[in-house]
Amino acid sequence: MRIGVYVCHCGLNIAGVLDPQDLSEFAGTLPDVEVARDIQFTCSDTGQETIKEDIVEHKLDGVVVAACSPRLHEPTFRKVIADAGMNPFLLEMANIREQCSWVHMEEPARAQEKAKDLIRMAVAKAALLNPLVGEVMPVSQDVLVIGGGVAGIQAALDLADSGLRVYLVERKPTIGGYMALLTDVFPTNDCSICVLAPKMTDVYNHPLITLISYAEILNIEGSVGRFTVSGIKKARFVDESLCKGCINDCAAVCPVEVPDEYQFGLGKRKAIYMPIPQSVPLVVCIDPQACVGCGLCAEACPVDAVKYDQEPEEFKFDVGAIIVATGWKPFDPARKEEFGYGRYKDVITGLQMERLLNAAGPTRGEVVRPSTGEIARSIAFIQCVGSRDHTVGNVYCSRVCCMYALKNAQLVKEKDPDADITIHYIDMRAGGEGYEEFYERAQRLGINFVRGRVSEVQEVDGGLVLTYEDTLLGRFRNSRYDLVCLSTGLEANSDADVVGNILGLAKRPDGFFEIAHPKMRPVEAHIDGVFIAGCASGPKEIQVSIAQGGAAAAKALRLLSRGELALDPVTAMVDTDKCIGCKLCVEICPSKAISVERTAMVDEASCKGCGTCAAACPVDAIDMRLFSDEQILAQVRAATATKREYPFIVGFLCNWCSYAGADLAGTSRIQYPPNMRVIRVMCVGRVDPSFVIEALRNGADGVLISGCRLGECHYDKGNYQAYQRVQVLRGVLEAVGVNPKRVKIIWCAASEGEILAKEMRTFVDELKEIGSIGDELKGGSA
Amino acid sequence: MKLAYYPGCVARATGKEYEISTRSVCSALGIELEEIDDWNCCGATHVSNELVAVGLAARNLARTELPVMTGCSICYSKLRSAVLRLEDNGVKRKVNSVLEREYTGAEVKHLIEVIMEVLEGADDGVIASLEGLKVAPYYGCLLTRPCGGIDSPENPAVLEKLLRTLGAEPVDFRLKMKCCGGPIFMTEEAAASDTAFKILECAKESGADAIMVVCPLCHLMLDANQHAMEKKFGAEIDLPVLYVTQLTGLALGLGVEELGMGMNSVSPAPVLEKLEAARGAEEEEGEVC
Repeated sequence: MRIGVYVCHCGLNIAGVLDPQDLSEFAGTLPDVEVARDIQFTCSDTGQETIKEDIVEHKLDGVVVAACSPRLHEPTFRKVIADAGMNPFLLEMANIREQCSWVHMEEPARAQEKAKDLIRMAVAKAALLNPLVGEVMPVSQDVLVIGGGVAGIQAALDLADSGLRVYLVERKPTIGGYMALLTDVFPTNDCSICVLAPKMTDVYNHPLITLISYAEILNIEGSVGRFTVSGIKKARFVDESLCKGCINDCAAVCPVEVPDEYQFGLGKRKAIYMPIPQSVPLVVCIDPQACVGCGLCAEACPVDAVKYDQEPEEFKFDVGAIIVATGWKPFDPARKEEFGYGRYKDVITGLQMERLLNAAGPTRGEVVRPSTGEIARSIAFIQCVGSRDHTVGNVYCSRVCCMYALKNAQLVKEKDPDADITIHYIDMRAGGEGYEEFYERAQRLGINFVRGRVSEVQEVDGGLVLTYEDTLLGRFRNSRYDLVCLSTGLEANSDADVVGNILGLAKRPDGFFEIAHPKMRPVEAHIDGVFIAGCASGPKEIQVSIAQGGAAAAKALRLLSRGELALDPVTAMVDTDKCIGCKLCVEICPSKAISVERTAMVDEASCKGCGTCAAACPVDAIDMRLFSDEQILAQVRAATATKREYPFIVGFLCNWCSYAGADLAGTSRIQYPPNMRVIRVMCVGRVDPSFVIEALRNGADGVLISGCRLGECHYDKGNYQAYQRVQVLRGVLEAVGVNPKRVKIIWCAASEGEILAKEMRTFVDELKEIGSIGDELKGGSA
Repeated sequence: MKLAYYPGCVARATGKEYEISTRSVCSALGIELEEIDDWNCCGATHVSNELVAVGLAARNLARTELPVMTGCSICYSKLRSAVLRLEDNGVKRKVNSVLEREYTGAEVKHLIEVIMEVLEGADDGVIASLEGLKVAPYYGCLLTRPCGGIDSPENPAVLEKLLRTLGAEPVDFRLKMKCCGGPIFMTEEAAASDTAFKILECAKESGADAIMVVCPLCHLMLDANQHAMEKKFGAEIDLPVLYVTQLTGLALGLGVEELGMGMNSVSPAPVLEKLEAARGAEEEEGEVC
């Protein structure tokens, strides 16, 4: 190897504490080092030119820059060496600014020793670096949208309008989702279907959208850029190309009546039916569970569209990206038995109220008591049914119920100003543009608000009596109503589990699909090329679902618009001779990038390079192309070569949070003792117990592992994996007589430089207490 | 079937007839009861200190290897709550540190669960029917709590099911889940009486011949206090309040002494007469055929 080492002064930022000239002289003595220099500002044009000239003149095949954090200038120097004709991955940086000169300003001598170690570690790693080439992969530019609710519709339209082909797969006979069934919608009380129907028709008519309704996705294979989707289109028993959507000819003669799921059980439909008048496609459907096969509809149909012998059709196509817009399902209020839903006819749900209020609903817009058919003159709305309720396991707020109850209460009041309407709430949540004004309007209309949980609904003498606490009056009370409407919450759609499992989507404890970052990546899944929009990732109002549909479309467009993907070469690789096919890596991989057929295979397009598989592999068959076992072990050995500190600590810090936190300690000039030599890993899940053992074996007194805070891992659960491994390792250490407290694992966010510094100070004190690593084994019979 | 029997304090005080009838019915159904040796309070008297309450329950549960059966809803609820709390290893460790026998886990059953189980498996001939008898099934507050026990804590149906198995007709009893007022009788007598009297009125209105109870405290409130409440509220109720074991015993053809029926405050005579009349009519019918 012929390595060039460049020690940066960074003005006085480094040189004010350290002696760069001494460091470069030291670097010159290290094996494989061909040339070592100290430079005023390495990132400046002159600095960059010096490196480029050296690469050519000294025929370098490795470069070490000892300067600032690689999180700052690694891309800069990779570009520099690439410009000089080297592979950009032959660069290693030693962080002697953020993690040395800036944090040990009072102790220059010890800092100088630390900097030497850091340079020795970087050179040791550089000697083992391999040239890596990121491949470019052609991709399919088609997109699959799963779910034809408002989020899916918006995503499909935005993509198709941008010129991409879209397959929109919907499991129901019509698209439109729940929005198509609502009456007027908040905060403007405009008619829901009036604003949605044009979009539904646009989907149907768009030349670039293939709508596959009444269908199920059965399998999705492949990965980002090249998914293969297969599924089945269920038989409607009606020829879609022939049916004219006249509805009544066939349904009128059908003798079978069943509860209408599109009216939430309030009305009836026939065995041959049009789901809603605005159905897209406008084609009837025969319900095979209800149909008695009498043949009357086939006779009645003027175009002979009824086909009793229709078979399900399979479909299969390739796409580059997938948008999951699988929506939600209503909470089943029968689970809150105290409210009597299912026992008392006049206890209804919010969705049933939508249908009652809807002019196209079962009562043509009259809010009646289902028990008698009379107009309801007094109505209670009970909020948070199935939301914010530990007794049913739903801790979350469903976000839309306050607003839809306010809206429905207003609609009733507009029809019947004398109606007695009370909303029983815990907290009214009306956050959103125009929402608080909407709440005030409801107050002005004379709607009553009672704060407190309702404990019970009972039917007494044909009316419904609510027992509740009025927490503002501090009283328990009973009130009688004609009708009780339960503002049922939104739950994760269990129908979407199949798709979720096929794609390997993670779920939050609330059951909804987890997005890649709870704030910064609101429409991305953990899986590359998969996006999530609308209520699939949690309860949302229509406005936000539409915004997310658009956002997911934009993300898919960004991914596929060039028709090719540049792949990051920092991935895992499998030694097929060693692999025993145990599939541990398959389970552990957060990106679902590994599959096993006899031996494991890594899909390099999906692999994000966290390395937790490499640490987990029981036979060491998986290694990383960068951050390899060999490279990290070389860093450990180089770190422990002289050990001019006591206690001496080797640290493993994850790139995203803890290493960034350590950098922040530097930029904030937070001082801590210079006892630790840090090895950067992409994720603490990468930390193989053998690294820790190697550090202890070579005389480190302690090992500190620091990852993202629990729940914030950039690779989903790498920090949990690390924690588990550390626990096991501690047990092993204890068994062989080494104090398990020598291995410490902590969580530190990128904003928590102070915490990292504090943990360092504590750990140094703890290790002093424990003593030198040799102590346990001295005199023992190891 | 062999079970550990936890009588609870009331079985030896105001609820003697419950224990007498429990032993008779269990014996008739072939259920062997082994009373827990040196048992103590279930924990109900120490609601102010949860750890003490759990510890008291745990001591009882640790004294047997068998599933533990009790007829008292309060004991049942307390013992079950303790089992749930003892799933927490911290609580378990604390409690075990003072117990002479270590608590390792327990199964707690209510008497009615056991009766239902045996009757469901029994031959048709075992039960002499309670046909013609209308009964208000009174659950009280603790039989179904904490949730996850024998039935739903909001809308249970297990007692109705038992009554139908015995041949009786369960009436629609709106206040079947309301608290009897017993727990506050000492401190808030007026409120407790109000509550209990509403329950009695509701049962009366529902057309029941008797109320069935599964808890000695409910029995105390509805039976022993019935006459006093009639006086206080100036209304006649005169509704026999029978323990589940007394009704089951009658269905099994056991005698009134075996069932301690002489100890009930409100005379169960009308119930017995009605049953006798129904059975007499049936027999006559049988003879004619």
